[in-house]
Amino acid sequence: MSRYVALLDGGRREEPIEVRQTAPGQFEVRLRGRVHVVDAFRHDYGTLSLIVDTASYTAMLDERDSHVRVRVRDSVYPIEILDEKKLRMRRAAGGFTVEGRQTLAAPMPGRIAKVQVKVGDAVREGQALLVVEAMKMENELRSPKGGRVVEVLVTEGQVVEGNAKLCVVE
Amino acid sequence: MSPKTRIRKVLVANRGEIAVRVMRTCREMGLATVAVYSDADRGALHVRKADEAVHVGPSPARDSYLVVEKLVDAAKKTGADALHPGYGFLSENAALARACAAAGLTFVGPPPEAMETMGVKTVARRHMNAAGVPTVPGSEGPIADEQEAKAFADALGYPVMIKPAAGGGGKGMKKVEREADFLALWDSARRESAGAFGDERLYLEKFLDEPRHVEIQIFADEHGDAIHLGERECSVQRRQQKVVEESPSCILDERMRQAMGEVAVRAAKAVGYRGAGTVEFLVDAARSFYFLEMNTRLQVEHPVTEMITGLDLVRMQLEVAGGGRLVPQEAVARRGHAIEARIYAEDPGRGFLPSPGKITYLRVPGGPGIRDDSGVYAGWVVPQYYDPLISKLVAWAPTRDQAIERLIRALGEYTVHGITTNVAYLAAVLDHPAFRSGAYDTQFCERYAADLVRPPDPAFEDVALIAAAVEAYKRDRAAAEASVARAGSVAASRSNWARLGRARALRGGGA
Repeated sequence: MSRYVALLDGGRREEPIEVRQTAPGQFEVRLRGRVHVVDAFRHDYGTLSLIVDTASYTAMLDERDSHVRVRVRDSVYPIEILDEKKLRMRRAAGGFTVEGRQTLAAPMPGRIAKVQVKVGDAVREGQALLVVEAMKMENELRSPKGGRVVEVLVTEGQVVEGNAKLCVVE
Repeated sequence: MSPKTRIRKVLVANRGEIAVRVMRTCREMGLATVAVYSDADRGALHVRKADEAVHVGPSPARDSYLVVEKLVDAAKKTGADALHPGYGFLSENAALARACAAAGLTFVGPPPEAMETMGVKTVARRHMNAAGVPTVPGSEGPIADEQEAKAFADALGYPVMIKPAAGGGGKGMKKVEREADFLALWDSARRESAGAFGDERLYLEKFLDEPRHVEIQIFADEHGDAIHLGERECSVQRRQQKVVEESPSCILDERMRQAMGEVAVRAAKAVGYRGAGTVEFLVDAARSFYFLEMNTRLQVEHPVTEMITGLDLVRMQLEVAGGGRLVPQEAVARRGHAIEARIYAEDPGRGFLPSPGKITYLRVPGGPGIRDDSGVYAGWVVPQYYDPLISKLVAWAPTRDQAIERLIRALGEYTVHGITTNVAYLAAVLDHPAFRSGAYDTQFCERYAADLVRPPDPAFEDVALIAAAVEAYKRDRAAAEASVARAGSVAASRSNWARLGRARALRGGGA
């Protein structure tokens, strides 16, 4: 049997899940105090046909860097699945917070259209710091907290990758 | 067709879904095709679909798809005799049309003079005023100075629209709600306009209350004939970008359709138009219509018209460009209802942030009455440099209600992994009571923003969790088994290493 914890809503919610395999493709899954009998058949890449008790579902699993986006019917559920080891490491690293130094990273690859602050500037929470242009649209990036700009790592016109560090607010 | 303009090979000066769309018709007509591509687009679908392909420069459009000389050179190099500009990029740029003419290429579009008159939005407004067609109040021409622009906006009264004189498609277009925001938005509009069209001239228009955006598709040939193919309702817009389009429009009756069609045809004839064009109108709550602008090119949403008329608009463009004659107005029949949803690589859950990246899996819908005009494939990396439109999904059905259900059904089948798309958002738009009732205007997306980005349905959360956990279990088991297998094979391979060493020694070689 394997124990997992699923993180939902970007880590704000946790659900423990236990999975036990009873036969090839047959599982017992304990979730919210109930045990479901699950028949899982993997179709092509990312597609899982599930018979949960007797109901039939298709789940489409889109694996991303840190999480999986599971589509069932017309809803998409971003879920992070951690085993016990990963969960302990995560707890040690601390949870979701805007305390201390906050690094603003590029939400997608793009070009820096505008840098609106410089090192030493005082900023309000929600104040626009930079404008990143991607796919011909401009997107304002705002400060996650009130504080002071301690680092600006990019210049106007620069092309950046997704997740590139742009600016640090403390 | 007259022999001197007979088209045999078409260079498609565009990328993405529209380049693929144009090439499909070329193939059906037996015409050879030439693709152009930038660095980022070497692996793009349109390059694969073409008979020949020419590299035209670095990834930013201003260094590749927007350079007239490179496109014309590519046509000369490959012996193309016609150039189809698609939409966006240089499709409304008279300089490209002139350069084609100078190089002996047939430009699949209107004469440059008509483009200048209609393509420059401010000149078009003046012409329409002169022809007695009502226009939305606004500046006579582009305004260069930002303070002067602000003074004009202040006098016009907020909200106002800032619009690029050279553009269309929502790029560089900004709605200004308050005086305080004007200068920042003006600046942003100028940069976007320069980036998208290579032209930073902007003008101002009063923002009408509860307007609907209804456009008329027209066609004109060089023999003096012009026809219209009815309307498309395009009021579902977000950030001035169309999201869902349909035909017929719920607010038009046959009399109004004829009136608008006649005005549109008159507008085209007045400027010596040729080819496909779209006359855009704003229709207010009292069902009065105002000329907004004319797009002197094929529209993104042209498949809506194709579905209800049964015509191929790209084929008609190529025939007219080659000197052919249009069918008469009476021969244009309209049947049933069509709706198009634009699938964008963007994340509605994160403020519609663009979502470029690698498509790891793609499965597109099928079945009755469905058309998918896509420009991507599984394995393709959607570049950050261009428009986020990856596909247009269109449904046709005998009635509007059936078309809505059909498109929602097809969106449910649309699966794109690796990047985030607006598929669920589109389904929410179609399913919204205001959309279903037909009583919606251009404020629809803003007004119902909270309804349209729906949280996942709690009813299926357990199923999603079970799926994710079972998949994690399978992955962990497979990894554990692989590791056991590796440990076994390391022991077995010791003798192999020894054998390999002996073999090398016998050959007398090092590596």
